[in-house]
Amino acid sequence: MSRLEIRDLVIDVPGRVDGRALSLSLEPGQMWGVLGPNGAGKTTLLHTLAGLRAPRRGGVLLDSRPLAVLGRRQVARALGLVFQERHDGFPATVRETALIGRHPWLSPWQMEGGEDLRLAEEALERLDVDHLAERLVSTLSGGERQRLAIATLLTQAPQIWLADEPTNHLDLHHQTAVMALLAGQAAEGKVVMMCLHDLNLAARWCDHLLLLYPDGEACWGPRDAMLVPGALERLYGQRLATAEVDGAPVFVPVR
Amino acid sequence: MAAAELGAHPMFAGRGMWLPLAVLALGGCAALGLSLAVGSASVAPEMLWAVLRGEGDALSRTLVLELRLPRSLSAFAVGGLLAVAGALMQVLLRNPLADPYVLGLSGGASVGALAAMLAGLGGAVITGSAFAGAFASTLLVFGLAHGTGSWTPSRLLLTGVVVAAGWGAVITLMLALSPAERLPGMLYWLMGDLSYSRTPWPPLALLLVICLLLMPLGRSLNVMARGPLQAAALGVKVRPLEWGIYLAASALTAMAVTTAGSIGFVGLVVPHMLRLVLGNDQRLILPACALAGGTLLVLADTLARTMIAPEQLPVGVITALLGVPTFLYLLYRSR
Amino acid sequence: MAMIISAPAVLPLSASTLGGRRLLGRLAGLALALFPWWGASAQADPVCVVDDRDREVCLAAPASRIATLSPGATELTWAAGGGDRVVAVVSYSDYPPEAREVTSVGSHTRVDLETLVSLEPDLVIGWVTGNPIEQLETIEALGVPVFYIEPRSVDSVATTIERLARLAGSEAQGDAVAAEFRAAMAALADEYADAEPVATFYQVWDEPLMSVNDEHLIGEVVRLCGGVNVFGELSRLVPRIDDEAVLAADPEVIVAGGMGEENRHWLTHWQQYPGLAAVERDNLFFVPPSLIQRPTPRLLEGSRILCEKLEVARGRR
Repeated sequence: MSRLEIRDLVIDVPGRVDGRALSLSLEPGQMWGVLGPNGAGKTTLLHTLAGLRAPRRGGVLLDSRPLAVLGRRQVARALGLVFQERHDGFPATVRETALIGRHPWLSPWQMEGGEDLRLAEEALERLDVDHLAERLVSTLSGGERQRLAIATLLTQAPQIWLADEPTNHLDLHHQTAVMALLAGQAAEGKVVMMCLHDLNLAARWCDHLLLLYPDGEACWGPRDAMLVPGALERLYGQRLATAEVDGAPVFVPVR
Repeated sequence: MAAAELGAHPMFAGRGMWLPLAVLALGGCAALGLSLAVGSASVAPEMLWAVLRGEGDALSRTLVLELRLPRSLSAFAVGGLLAVAGALMQVLLRNPLADPYVLGLSGGASVGALAAMLAGLGGAVITGSAFAGAFASTLLVFGLAHGTGSWTPSRLLLTGVVVAAGWGAVITLMLALSPAERLPGMLYWLMGDLSYSRTPWPPLALLLVICLLLMPLGRSLNVMARGPLQAAALGVKVRPLEWGIYLAASALTAMAVTTAGSIGFVGLVVPHMLRLVLGNDQRLILPACALAGGTLLVLADTLARTMIAPEQLPVGVITALLGVPTFLYLLYRSR
Repeated sequence: MAMIISAPAVLPLSASTLGGRRLLGRLAGLALALFPWWGASAQADPVCVVDDRDREVCLAAPASRIATLSPGATELTWAAGGGDRVVAVVSYSDYPPEAREVTSVGSHTRVDLETLVSLEPDLVIGWVTGNPIEQLETIEALGVPVFYIEPRSVDSVATTIERLARLAGSEAQGDAVAAEFRAAMAALADEYADAEPVATFYQVWDEPLMSVNDEHLIGEVVRLCGGVNVFGELSRLVPRIDDEAVLAADPEVIVAGGMGEENRHWLTHWQQYPGLAAVERDNLFFVPPSLIQRPTPRLLEGSRILCEKLEVARGRR
């Protein structure tokens, strides 16, 4: 089990004042949702937490060791990402794409073995894309690609999951299936943090929330403490009506 | 559709990887054999066999061992160098239109070579100067594309294209200002032809060394093809790998250009042809490029020197004539 | 002794077909076989000549199978008396007419080495600035001596013929031709030594417009005829110029070579400038380029034509 500690972190959003430094700890079993309007720095935060971007100030500790001193391979074994944007300029099949999740676990001379293949096949099945295994990624729909990206991360099998809009392009059924999968990972003792646009999904599935304001302000804590209608209205600059459905709060924008 | 299905064939676990390479290697040997057997002078098959066994008359030995063999090996090496360099550039820039010359390498090499010729130097100095020119161009483009911030493929590409245009102007200027008696030598060099190549060993050795060096990097290159962020997230040290690819591609191109001038087409199309048939696993594609690029150039050069013998055609014409229809056919079949 | 070996060259049946030449080659071989002391003395007496790259080229015996890798080399070798020993030429080797019958080994820029080697030459005449140096070096690496030529002046035409004659073992004929050429050129020079100067523009090419400077062979001929090359002072051997430069120089005579024969439109181009002295006096002349642009004995004929044209121009003053 791994934990990710964020210490006095100021992410580097060009042209924005420092705002409030983030200091929080992502513990095993927690499922964090990052909320904020467009341009608040959600993606930048995830990339900074993964060590793909340098912070303006502060740092990130992976199991008490600064990310900056760890090798990329070491980081990749402990921590994985689902990206919002994906490049597939060159043709690749769905199975090949899932298999690249094994990259951090294989030595340079090693070829993917039966065990790696089994992991990839399992992941494809979990995400309901196993019937597409031989297809070229470029021929998939947006939702199928999204599920493939999550299957790739499942194949990578890190302790810390960082997911940027994991429900993008997904239909309602697959949204729920993916959130259930992520919640399952958290239940197994992994750390999950995801950026979400859908306030209601966050309210339904996450146990902790981090609210990022466009001016650099931020607040974080357990879900129930964060889901204050006034704070959320200020976050999005949008009036909200609140209701409760199926035991969870539901927020609906008011005209 | 057949090509698409083949293209969809996964190459994991090494399965099915050796068969295409074995087929390509056999094809390469057949092409080399053909290139030794045919020429403007005729050597009977039994005489060819005698020569290969170390016997045969002096004239046949000269024809086969001293004229055809070094030239065919040079062609093989140069074709392989260009195809591998093209495949690397395409991965580096994540742009299927990239070829070995896109970042101004051949321009830099040409300026280096022409400068040596203008100074009245010859032989090895020209080769060395061309190599230096190619590397100066490499550093210039990579350094400038870095600029003050981070570089992106499109920025690298743009820098390369502009630097290449700059070299083009310098070459034209040098040709315009050079004394008439040096002009023919300079023009031959620019044309790109295997009839002026000397020993095949340096390019062959470089091809082998770089292919061996690239082997453990193959999977990292596969990941790189998905974009630098994804690659970094999967544990690839992106910046050193990019430098490595770029330097390797530069070394390959510089060697190819100094051996045979700028021969177009091989570096652009061979990697694509192979991807259409074999998929995009760099562990397979890179050695396959070395073999297929070499084979294509050996065949092209054999045709170039025999088609209208004794007149000799520039080999670039033949590579295009052979490659364009093959490529278009594969593309048409693929979807 | 070498002269005696050249016997086939002075045989009355001057070979004009490949078969004929092969027969002669066999006859020469037979002669050598029948009279071994000729060969022995030739071996004891190697021929050494310095080429235009300042290298000494030595043959154990005069060459019997010569490959000439430029039209000029072919013509000079024939002039030197070695024509019947030429076994390989390149494209455009059209003079003398017999040269057209010899096997071609491609163009001077890209020699078909296989065909060349299978003709088994024992001497290759290379062109310093015309043939790819890599190919000539390969030929030498195969053990065939290469004699590099680069005749750039009237005198070097004569010395090249003399040296080629030595290599081909035909000194008698070669020296005679060279001497005759020298004498005739000297006579021409004498004739025009005191002629009135004529400002002359020699046009080598039209697009781009090119002339020659005084160091060029053609510049030398212009000077010999009493002409003053208006672009003679330029530093490049074959300077590239524009119409303005010609208008500014205002030559009294414009002479054009051109590609092939009678390329009149090169000259008619100038008629759009009636203010040019050369146009005003109708001093636009054509000289067949093969007679003046090739450094061979035919240069004498070209020089005579050029000198006559300049004389015509003097008459129109």
